[in-house]
Amino acid sequence: MTRWSAVMVHELLCTTRERLPQLLLAVFVGMIAASAFIGSSARASVTGVYQEALRQGLTTVSNPFDALSPLYYARNTVIYIVLIGALLAIVVGVNSTLRDRQARTADLILSRDVGPAFYLGSKLAGLALFVLLLLALSALLNIGCISVVTGQVLAGGDSARIAGLYALAWLFMLPFVALGMAAGLHAASSTSALLTPIVIWSVVIFILPLLGTAAHPVSLLNPVSPPPAPQGGFFAATSSLVDPLSLGEQFKHVGALILADPQATGTMAGGILTMAAFAVAGCAAVVMTRRTRMRRLLHD
Amino acid sequence: MIEMLTLAKKELTDLRRSRLLLVLFAFLAVAVILSVVVASADFRLKIADYRHYLDALKAAGSTAAAPAPQLFPLQMLRGGMEYLEIIGSLFAVVLGASMITKEKGRGTLALIFSRPLGRYAFAGGKILALSLIWATTMGALFLVIVATLLLVGNAPLQGGDYLALAIVAAHTTGYLIMWSLLAMTLATLALRTGTGLILALVLWLVVVLIIPQIGDTMDPDNQIPGGLFASLQVDKSHEQAVMAHFTGYETTRDLIEQTSVTKQYERATFAYLGIKNEYNQQSLSFIWAGTFNNTLWLLAGLATSLGAALLSGTKKTILRKAP
Repeated sequence: MTRWSAVMVHELLCTTRERLPQLLLAVFVGMIAASAFIGSSARASVTGVYQEALRQGLTTVSNPFDALSPLYYARNTVIYIVLIGALLAIVVGVNSTLRDRQARTADLILSRDVGPAFYLGSKLAGLALFVLLLLALSALLNIGCISVVTGQVLAGGDSARIAGLYALAWLFMLPFVALGMAAGLHAASSTSALLTPIVIWSVVIFILPLLGTAAHPVSLLNPVSPPPAPQGGFFAATSSLVDPLSLGEQFKHVGALILADPQATGTMAGGILTMAAFAVAGCAAVVMTRRTRMRRLLHD
Repeated sequence: MIEMLTLAKKELTDLRRSRLLLVLFAFLAVAVILSVVVASADFRLKIADYRHYLDALKAAGSTAAAPAPQLFPLQMLRGGMEYLEIIGSLFAVVLGASMITKEKGRGTLALIFSRPLGRYAFAGGKILALSLIWATTMGALFLVIVATLLLVGNAPLQGGDYLALAIVAAHTTGYLIMWSLLAMTLATLALRTGTGLILALVLWLVVVLIIPQIGDTMDPDNQIPGGLFASLQVDKSHEQAVMAHFTGYETTRDLIEQTSVTKQYERATFAYLGIKNEYNQQSLSFIWAGTFNNTLWLLAGLATSLGAALLSGTKKTILRKAP
């Protein structure tokens, strides 16, 4: 086993053994499993409402849920990845670097022939692998639950789209893993190590979209696309500034395109490049951490 | 009683010295100000669109008039209230947990309990300090909100508006104290320093984000952009006639939402601010009649967290060792 793979495997083992990320993990996987059933309940209610409106002679339009793709049932998972997945990524990232500082293992490891960039890079790779395995499991679970809800095995094309969504989720969660690791390396206390990345997450997910689109924070929890942003002077200026930074909205937009949401328009390239840029910047920030920073004591 | 006041005073001094409280307050104030700025810009755009529409009508020779968009100043606080609901409660969790984790980290718990303290003096002091902190912070924040509405939103506030804002401030203070006390309880019960905070964060995630999200997603009108009934071209009066056939489903959805204390807080505050159309421009007695159950549930949540914090904050629980 090489040193790189030894650190990776150790990181993977430590993360899977920790009980608290396991709790978040259980919530995440549970909600992914439940999302198809929540979608099914919503669909049944919409169809019921439509049929009642039709019976009362109140509408002549066709059922908006006619010929609905099975991928509709995966739409809620996008929201759970933005909320729970990103928080889980932050917590495992913070725990990974705080663990070393609390147990003072960084001193011991850095006394060997291992550079900080190599060590932190392999830790990051271990966590990236953990997130990848978690998302692969979630994708299988999601495909299984949608198959149960629709009463038939999901078609290959649709399954590939769901796999594509989870691959995108990996790219989306990676910057949050790096953010958590960086916070664990730089924070003075374990409380601020957890608080700082969560505040940044709340700004990215809830505050930036409001500045660019006037969308209310709670409406961002709905998988249905919000109405388009007003095209006036104020919003034209703010949206051009904050849209590239609204990582959650970029993920939701590309996710909607992957899931063939009829309301989603545009291309995926911009969103994917933005997420990739954030991931590269986050990983670079972690890997470039100095030796003295890694060995700094916590003040709590 | 004296030792409780001494402990509360020490907490307030600690927080005044640390930058945490200042940072939290500044962040919440900036978020709320930004939300009013955005709401104000959005309203100006609606007015501009309305004028363009009137000009177009005139140019076409039409004499028909459309009602102008109306400004209801307190409705501009919707985004700000949602920030307090989500981010404010997150800060409350961190603040509450830090009340205990800092003592565990510094190793001062054994020292404090070596003094002749009453059984509930330690927890009582912390609870008193948290209550005073949130009451002061919310008082200051709502002053910022009033100033923002007046200066940025150019919103003319009436006497009733100030009263509604005071009621909403009281609800918000209770809501945030509740979250701080819950986090403090979990931090007290957890044997490891970080465990309580992460448990509180998971609870926050479920109550503040997941349960309301499930309720929101189950709402048939939220399934189509612009609303299901609008897409079916069914007006409001007929919408109720249709939904009368789905009372069982709606009751289940409502029950799911009501299990979240955040939703109780949201329903009460949105009613007082007139964000819910059925309560807009209504008297306070009318709003109270419609939302007193939400306020009472919020109070029940506060009382539960208060009891839990008081009972868990004893010497026996705090100083117990891991098996």
